[in-house]
Amino acid sequence: MKQFSGLVQRISRSLDIMAGFCIVATMVIVVLNVVLRVFLRKPLLGTMDYVTLLMALTIGLGLAYCGFNNGHIAVDLIIEKFPKKTQAFIDAITNLISLIFWGIVAWYMAEYARTMALSNLVAPTIQIPLSPVIYVISFGLLILCFVILLKIIASVRKVAQ
Amino acid sequence: MSGLMLGVVGLIVFLILIFLRMPISFAMALVGFAGFSYMTSVSAAMNMVVRELFGNFSSYSLSVIPMFVWMGFLAYYSGIGSRLYIFAYKLIGHWPGGLAIATQTACAIFGAICGSNTATAATIGAIALPEMKKYKYDVSLATASVAAGGVLGVLIPPSVIFIVYGMATEQSIGKLFIAGIIPGILLMLLYQITISILTWRNPLLGPAGPRANWKERFSALRGGLGEVLLVFALSMGGLFVGWFTATEAGAIGAVGVLLSALAGRNISWEGFKKSLVDTTRTSAMIMLMVAGSIIFGRFMAISRVPFEMATWTGSLDLPPFVIMGIVLFIYLILGCFIDALAMILLTIPIFYPIVVDTLGYDPIWFGVIIVLVVGMGVITPPVGMNVYILKGIVPEVPLEVIFRGIWPFLIAIIVCLALLMMFPQIVSFLPNLLTK
Repeated sequence: MKQFSGLVQRISRSLDIMAGFCIVATMVIVVLNVVLRVFLRKPLLGTMDYVTLLMALTIGLGLAYCGFNNGHIAVDLIIEKFPKKTQAFIDAITNLISLIFWGIVAWYMAEYARTMALSNLVAPTIQIPLSPVIYVISFGLLILCFVILLKIIASVRKVAQ
Repeated sequence: MSGLMLGVVGLIVFLILIFLRMPISFAMALVGFAGFSYMTSVSAAMNMVVRELFGNFSSYSLSVIPMFVWMGFLAYYSGIGSRLYIFAYKLIGHWPGGLAIATQTACAIFGAICGSNTATAATIGAIALPEMKKYKYDVSLATASVAAGGVLGVLIPPSVIFIVYGMATEQSIGKLFIAGIIPGILLMLLYQITISILTWRNPLLGPAGPRANWKERFSALRGGLGEVLLVFALSMGGLFVGWFTATEAGAIGAVGVLLSALAGRNISWEGFKKSLVDTTRTSAMIMLMVAGSIIFGRFMAISRVPFEMATWTGSLDLPPFVIMGIVLFIYLILGCFIDALAMILLTIPIFYPIVVDTLGYDPIWFGVIIVLVVGMGVITPPVGMNVYILKGIVPEVPLEVIFRGIWPFLIAIIVCLALLMMFPQIVSFLPNLLTK
């Protein structure tokens, strides 16, 4: 269990570091475009494509670690009034529902990527295929599912104690 | 089940799920998906979900969010906040209540490079609270003034809430930003008047600090104000006059804060890395919430709930300001329980058509009003996000003590709201000036 938890943490953390690189890259490209446009009157071709793809990567890669750190905002107020075991039980159920939902979404996302690959869809200016980016989002969602699974196991343990 | 009935059931299930601690973005997407499936088919709904997720994550207009979020975190980790505070209190710290008044000024200036009210409260709180403790300020006044000051962070541009409101209602982000400036300054002044009245009635609440000489004041001036003004002028100024898109303004702002932090050796490699981790986390949270709300909104749209609500309100024989009052009251109540961003995303599809299309209020004005109203939500019990942030900085102070100090500031916000309702020109003056 500890190994599994460590593995999920390492993977989600690594994805998050890549997301950080995407943020820096976005900033560099956007600023470069402004500088080139203002001073040389030659905007960087395809800036919009780069930015949108980098953004999709940032979010896809960042979702799981955000979940790992309980970054997705939730309302604690009412559930906190319940006994600890009841809280853990409710958490296990709501997380199970979330797990099933995001699991299906991850699967469909991969399917969506496959259809995009088959129809050869590319970003309009830079002509980079969109499907790898969508696969990355699908993978990010899959890791998010593992993060949720970790939370379910933790809750079940609390209930069983 | 009729569409309308299904929509109402969907809303109830959504509320149950979030009160059972399911993350708000998850609950929005899940209920939106389930309702959409019921009205169409599971595969159609799943297709809609994946398209909306990818569509929003890869939206150029939403790319403005990570840029401004990063700008805020860079400012946070480079310590600009503390230097701003030192400048403000060297200037007016010797007044009764001067440190609390300085806190408001520092929050307002920090708000000019940071778009979040919690980040503003955390940044200024970390430096202002120990100082106020040193000079024996009343704990309740000290903590409450910082929590309330955080609201200035979202009112004064840049502001994440304005960005999200602008996205959801297709309003210009530049216009919303500029519209927030005067109300932000007005609220700062109202806060400062409130503190002055409190300390005038009871000087023990905020004893005067030591007076700084002019040399000290000038040296404090170099410490942060210059950087903030420069970055603000470049990034916001460029946006206002139409040189940049909002995303470009965010990126330029981030690079500006980063460069000035590097030049002054104010940010460590550790701080830089932390700023990125916080940015990816916050951006993922916001973008998933935006996508979730759009999925939820798709379900609401086919259930016709917003349409029926707008028609029903239109048929009511009440003056517009009464209906507006009811809408604001609902926001205030919801704001006590639900996060500001989630609340705006959730309610815009329902209330926006009523307020703007049926009642004919100006969309930019409504945006500013909403930011103020949800600002009240972040400092009122029981949720009051900013109050919890401060509790994290000073764990020894009980929550009730902080909340007790909040009341006078809440009154200041209500006065500000009333002024904006009576004189909408306070909001529309700057945006109109710019578009002429």
